[in-house]
Amino acid sequence: MSPPPLVETTRSAFWASDEAHYHGHRVFKELAGKESWTGMMGLSLFGRKIPPDICGVLDDAVGALTLADPRIWPLKLTRVVGSYGGLLPALFAGQLAEDGARIGPWACVEAAKALLLLHAEIDGQQDDAEHVSQVVAEYRRKHRFVWGFGTPYRGRDERVVAFRRSMEQRQRSELPYYRTMNAVARAMKEATGAEPNIGGVMASALLDMDLEPLEVGATVVAVIQHMFFSQALESTRAPNLTLRELPSEYVTYRGHEPRTSPRGRPL
Amino acid sequence: MTHPASGASGAILEGPLDAAPFPETLSAHVVTPGPRPRLHGYDVEADLACHYTPTDVLFLTLTGELPAPELSAALGIAFAFLAPVSVAHASVHAAVLARTCGTTSSSTIGVAAIALAEQARVLLDEHAAWLAWLAAPNDAFPALYRAADASDAAASARLREALAVVGFRAPWLSEKPTRSAALLGVLFTCGLTERASLEAAVVTARLPTAVAEAMAVKVADFNQYPTNLPRYSYQELP
Repeated sequence: MSPPPLVETTRSAFWASDEAHYHGHRVFKELAGKESWTGMMGLSLFGRKIPPDICGVLDDAVGALTLADPRIWPLKLTRVVGSYGGLLPALFAGQLAEDGARIGPWACVEAAKALLLLHAEIDGQQDDAEHVSQVVAEYRRKHRFVWGFGTPYRGRDERVVAFRRSMEQRQRSELPYYRTMNAVARAMKEATGAEPNIGGVMASALLDMDLEPLEVGATVVAVIQHMFFSQALESTRAPNLTLRELPSEYVTYRGHEPRTSPRGRPL
Repeated sequence: MTHPASGASGAILEGPLDAAPFPETLSAHVVTPGPRPRLHGYDVEADLACHYTPTDVLFLTLTGELPAPELSAALGIAFAFLAPVSVAHASVHAAVLARTCGTTSSSTIGVAAIALAEQARVLLDEHAAWLAWLAAPNDAFPALYRAADASDAAASARLREALAVVGFRAPWLSEKPTRSAALLGVLFTCGLTERASLEAAVVTARLPTAVAEAMAVKVADFNQYPTNLPRYSYQELP
């Protein structure tokens, strides 16, 4: 006798006889040829069709976030695994290393969580500098640091400069979370000298699109994917055999001195 | 039958995957489901755990049979020889990078497993002709797999010496194969003859060292990682 069917509800997709369905839309009738790549990604990430201005912000983000130097650690990880020649293992190992990491999309998740708390406390008074400073000071007393701030190895995050320009051009700089981010940035600058990084600014822009922190992370994973493809393809087209096994002069051993196990000692 | 899918209009949706005759249950071939697991038929808790080494259990898992008593020690030696992979190797380097990024320990382990599987794939690719020869050793010993440099020859000799102590005998050992060829040869001779089983054995042997090397690094300590190793020379398209 067959067990009763197990049922899991999905709002994502279904392959029906007439055609494929995706997030409430008929793929061939409503989406194919009508939605752009960004539009399809938006539908996948937001669970709903996104309007052209949101598509535009995501397109701008892809450009502004393109800091693809192969020494950037998750990208380097992709190249290191790519030295074995496998494209997808390289591609996804690099992205897996972003899970919960201190840099990349999960820094945006944490920045989004911080911003949600700060936004609630600021309570619409973004222009009241004293109030914002008090909220930020209280937050800093309770938390180790404020995610979304700090730009290692340089004075300011050049991606923030580029992305802010596009947000202003798209008239999204007066939206609530973006305003909160700017207000917090002013208070942080005064209190600590720290500048906002792209994680914080992206988080505010995405919160203004009604995304939850986890969706913020997923969206940032999506908009930085191109850099992983670039590194994975280059590193697997011509695998670097030196990276596959570094010559010994590039490794310094800092572990235990040589020793003999109890069972290995002469009786 | 229940049809859980419905379209926007409320109409029931059915598609090619609903009509196809798929089985209704997953098949278990290795481990019995439930609170008293058996592994390939053996009671894990009352039998295997009490009477066999972890290496024996791994061998059983991958092949379906326990190793012959005279091969058990040889397998243990092969696994110990396989285990150390230094951070000079991309597999371990990748795990260290994952930790440096500050990812979770589970994702660090995941990265290590991916990278070690890639390393094992390459190792097996490089030894495809060797494994083919082991399966049908009709021709002369393939010279490509004879230890050429002194360091590799010495490592291979240490392996032969350790294997001799436990009574492991294989005629090809006298041909002085490379360390890697000898290790794969031991696993193959013991019964790990399938490519997937060999890759799994190599990854399993090495995973602890890769994870341990990663865990020795402070989370997100970017300043202690040699970011400029190697240096990248950027060249724009003409």
